[in-house]
Amino acid sequence: MQEFYIGWMDKAPRTFAQFVKKYLLLILPVIIVIAVLLGALQKKFSKGNFEFGQPTTVTGIYFNHPVPLIKVINGKDIFGNISYITIPLVGYGKHGADGIISDIEKEKNISLDQKEVSLKGTLLYNDGKTIMQVDKNDTVLVHYSGKQIASELLPQKKDLGTLSIKGEIVDSKCYFGVMKPGEGKPHRDCAIRCILGGIPPVLVVKNEKGEANYYLLVDADGAKINQSVQPFVATPVTVNANAIQYDDWIVLYVNKNAGIREISRSAFYQPGNAVACVMR
Amino acid sequence: MSASYQAVGWNKQKKKYDWIIFSFCVVYLIVFIGVTAYVNPDYTFETVLVRSTSTLALLLLHVILSIGPLARINKKFLPLLYNRRHLGVTMFTVALVHASFGIFQFHALGNVNPLVSLFMSNTNYGSLADFPFQALGFFALIIFFLMAITSHDFWLHNLGPKVWKTLHMMVYPAYFLIIMHVMLGVIQYETNPVFVLILGVGSSTLIVLHLIAGTREVKKDNEEFGLKQDGFVMVCGVNDIEDNRAKMFCIDKERIAVFKFERKLFAVNNVCKHQNGPLGEGKIVDGCLTCPWHGYQYLPQNGQSPPPFKEKVSTYDVKVQGQNVWVNPKPYPEGTERKGANF
Repeated sequence: MQEFYIGWMDKAPRTFAQFVKKYLLLILPVIIVIAVLLGALQKKFSKGNFEFGQPTTVTGIYFNHPVPLIKVINGKDIFGNISYITIPLVGYGKHGADGIISDIEKEKNISLDQKEVSLKGTLLYNDGKTIMQVDKNDTVLVHYSGKQIASELLPQKKDLGTLSIKGEIVDSKCYFGVMKPGEGKPHRDCAIRCILGGIPPVLVVKNEKGEANYYLLVDADGAKINQSVQPFVATPVTVNANAIQYDDWIVLYVNKNAGIREISRSAFYQPGNAVACVMR
Repeated sequence: MSASYQAVGWNKQKKKYDWIIFSFCVVYLIVFIGVTAYVNPDYTFETVLVRSTSTLALLLLHVILSIGPLARINKKFLPLLYNRRHLGVTMFTVALVHASFGIFQFHALGNVNPLVSLFMSNTNYGSLADFPFQALGFFALIIFFLMAITSHDFWLHNLGPKVWKTLHMMVYPAYFLIIMHVMLGVIQYETNPVFVLILGVGSSTLIVLHLIAGTREVKKDNEEFGLKQDGFVMVCGVNDIEDNRAKMFCIDKERIAVFKFERKLFAVNNVCKHQNGPLGEGKIVDGCLTCPWHGYQYLPQNGQSPPPFKEKVSTYDVKVQGQNVWVNPKPYPEGTERKGANF
């Protein structure tokens, strides 16, 4: 007589219990192998870092354009040139820093543009670029000097002409440290939300070795282009624009109606062929 | 088959089942997170949480969907079927963790409500490659939620078996949504073909198992019975049915379970009122025909669950001529008393 299984009985018949035991012993290694494969074969996480919970105060020159940023001077290099790093500012969450800066200016009835300031915020950085998050709930403006700055501290501009480059538009905050990944299809919604919230969009251009150049995007008049890039975020695009180097960032002045074109993924990465030269 | 509803009694089997689910989930999470941290020292907690829970939920979904056909192919898998709802609720809980963190990570702290952001950030609904894959996962989660909250027999009783079963069959559209959620999302980011391969093996295994189980069922349903007489159809020999056991026959699209009990043959509708389990694969236990899926019971002579339970199935006339069993496929109203056939 064959055994019969009933779930509400306290114990399964012996043959059923033995069979299920064998099945479980078989699928346990399968589960472990799947976990190992899925864990090990994910794309490498970026080396970006977000110093969450560790605010830093930086002193430098604040500029409103091309995006809100602070230029931090760090002495002079061996050739006697001023050594600096330009740190674009972003707000808390998925917001730009414009509102916070504008509130400070209104509240204190001052203009921060081209003035020496000390700002408190949270740094995030990756691949040689640094961004700072400022939060309206903190005391962002730690120090303000109303003095006009020396002309040598103004941004060093260089016209690079018209460029046509292929890359991916990302939001600068997630890409450079907050999110891993901060690019690609899984991150598209977040990047769109960040860019629509005012975080500066950046065009990432990589060659086949994974080396990247980064370009800040503004419209042809130097105003924000955030709304117009929404359909092109996290997808392969060609950007035609006038490029101007501002210190250690290149800014693309993009015609918002015709300057960005979506391209096929196959045209984006062509193994063996660099799609862009990487400038260091 | 309860007349009133009390806290579910966790018998020894249920406890064992739940411990095994818990242990396997923990093993998976530890291995996935451990390997990720080892291979990628630059990992972030949020991303590992989102990924470990998503892959675990998908793995559980494959296990859940394989249990049905496996139990049809081999009855020894029935212990896995009986408490399958526990696996379902576990899978939903894990998927909920994934979705909650995903929505928070990708949509919260922005300039619109996170749920508005979910549907309105990427609006490429007309493009397959650029389709907003997160919306697909959201709708699948809603289905899993409805299934999880209605998994108790209270809802089966109140919604009725037909509505309840239809709702729970929505797991298949939900599975399709999840596959598309993965294919149009992370698969477009990851470059290693192993991810597609693992997903392909999982889906193919499910399809093959369902085809094998379904083909067997269709074959059984299409069995031809040559001899007919006065509305009766000859189905088998008396000795083809074991004592206290049943056999299923599909006559004129009517699935009928014929069973032998105390030297008599009885016939009732094969479909259990609980979850459409096959009574023809059941056994007489304590004088009742007992469904192999969840142990629902029916009295042989009238197809009624023993009082105070109220489930009823149709009954049929059976007769024995010589050594052959004849069944009339015309059903009597559910719960109608029949004498059975002596042999």
